[in-house]
Amino acid sequence: MIDTALALLRFSLGLGSVFLLGYLGFALLVPNPRGFRVLESLSYSFGIGAVVLTLWMLLLSWWGHPFSLIPILVPPLAGAFLLVALKMIVRKRAGGPESAPSTIPAPSSAPFQVWDWVFIGLLSAVLLFAYFRAVIYPMWAWDTIATWGCKAKLFYQTGGMDLTCIEAHNYYPNLVPLLLSYLYFCLGEVKDHLAQGLFPFWGALLLGMLYSFLRRMGLNRTRALGVTAFFALNGTVFISHLFIAYADLPLAYFALAAVGLLYLWLMDAAPVGALALAAPFFAGLAWCKYEGPPLAGTILLAAFLTLVWLRPPDWKMRVLKLGIPILGLAAGFLPWRLFAAFRHLEMGADHVRNLYPHQLLESIPYFLRALVDPFFFGLLWPAAVLALIFSGRGLWRSPRLFPALFLGGNLLAVLVAYAVAPTSAAEFDMYVRATIDRLLLHITPVAALLVGDGVKEWGGRPQAGPQRPLEKPLGKAY
Amino acid sequence: MSILRNWRHCLFWLVIGCWVGQTIWLAWYYAPDVKEMAWRVASGRTGTAVRQEDPLYRWALTLAAVIPPRDTYIFLDNYEAGKEIEARYHLTPRKHVLLSPAAPPSFLFHALRQEKASYLVVREGKKPWKSQDAVAESAAFLLLPVPGPGLVFKVDYERLPGKFHD
Repeated sequence: MIDTALALLRFSLGLGSVFLLGYLGFALLVPNPRGFRVLESLSYSFGIGAVVLTLWMLLLSWWGHPFSLIPILVPPLAGAFLLVALKMIVRKRAGGPESAPSTIPAPSSAPFQVWDWVFIGLLSAVLLFAYFRAVIYPMWAWDTIATWGCKAKLFYQTGGMDLTCIEAHNYYPNLVPLLLSYLYFCLGEVKDHLAQGLFPFWGALLLGMLYSFLRRMGLNRTRALGVTAFFALNGTVFISHLFIAYADLPLAYFALAAVGLLYLWLMDAAPVGALALAAPFFAGLAWCKYEGPPLAGTILLAAFLTLVWLRPPDWKMRVLKLGIPILGLAAGFLPWRLFAAFRHLEMGADHVRNLYPHQLLESIPYFLRALVDPFFFGLLWPAAVLALIFSGRGLWRSPRLFPALFLGGNLLAVLVAYAVAPTSAAEFDMYVRATIDRLLLHITPVAALLVGDGVKEWGGRPQAGPQRPLEKPLGKAY
Repeated sequence: MSILRNWRHCLFWLVIGCWVGQTIWLAWYYAPDVKEMAWRVASGRTGTAVRQEDPLYRWALTLAAVIPPRDTYIFLDNYEAGKEIEARYHLTPRKHVLLSPAAPPSFLFHALRQEKASYLVVREGKKPWKSQDAVAESAAFLLLPVPGPGLVFKVDYERLPGKFHD
């Protein structure tokens, strides 16, 4: 009993350190970290901390320094503290205001409604179930023991990124395995069932982030909670990814952060520093999974096309500012590619050699079924489609075009991916069934943003509760 | 306009109604899991204890005691069975090379030499495998008395001849 309590304490301290590191990064990136809700700060901080910590571990491994807790944690934390202190000194000397005006939509003074409690109860029940489901059982899911968990165990046992004894998928990016191995260092041994507790926790942060985006999009508390619960309790894919330790849930988290921040920026509803804040999430996309860079590419392309189509007064300057997330993408993409090139790791390029048009046709029924089958995502995708349909012509005149383009582009990309997949005819059916839910999971939280947009208009009655205007000049959110 | 608005309103509540049904179905779907989790917590059979229930894991533990961590082993099994990745997970950081039980002796011996593998592990020892006779005849293999469902051979890969045994 005492052992378990100590292990949980070590695990919590390990996660707390990631939060601290991430919060310092967050404080560096945005002019006024206090201008965010606590839930928002927490949601962003963990992702930033995870990216910085694991990239640092990659550097340690490159330098040949063996992994242990002190070299993993102390230098990045000390560096981040120094930089934040430097930022504060510079700001004080420049005579600037200690804090920029708040960008938080004013908190609703209304007491919690019955429906708020119902939605909070549903979300708590899902997360509690997922947490116990994760920590009671050891790692067992296929990709977990074949790739992510296996690498994590190996990195811990060898004290570095020794990929010589694992041949399968050794070119995959390593954010998740390195973060798990860091947790093993915190725990002092490979307790994979406890480390698996990371995933429900990551899912909670994704839900917190989704809720925060919905609030900034103008939904009141009840509706934002309702849409968040609608996302979490629709089908089994999201819930099962809360406890199977795959990299798809973290990828969905990074994708939501990147899309959400750019969407708010396009809507002029973003917090100050949104593009700089989006940069580490673009890095996370590239460093989390092989599908991340194309996903990031479609986000940037959709933002570019939206700006070109809508042509706001400063659209050229805004297009140039998309360079900030591109820098983030490069920061997440290049280190691992360079490491792999220097270590002569063979990078898997087998997916782009040929086009098999019949596979495209064969995958369409599976694809459509996955979008409407209650077992996968429940009513979420049909609801997102309805929200788009009810946008009418307004879709072409508003930044809502951005998530619509992103989702449409990615749905098309999924089909194209199946058309170029080098799979035998006998295995193709199994291949699609084993991957379609995960590929859709990456973009499903963004579909929930569209549902949120729809609920704002679609629900009929005007919104309850005060919706005060944002306390920042519109169009200056970058 | 008001008809359209009412129609949208009805559709909104229809979706909500379906979602309530979906949520009830989810509760029903995960109920057996909750039941088993409650039983596991009550009986203290959680975490590593769950893994101890798996015979493959118990066998992998005995293999881990035999094969040194820096050594390479060849695992003879069908990938489709899904057991090979479990064995690899339990036996890290040992280098794991998978070959099919249908691999002919020429290929098996070549792989053993090429990978400098000191151990050959056959997951299903009671089932026939293609190189069975060649391995039995070769002096480079020593069958180890490891209890479990499979066979474990210590291999002196340097003694393996380069000629073909097919």
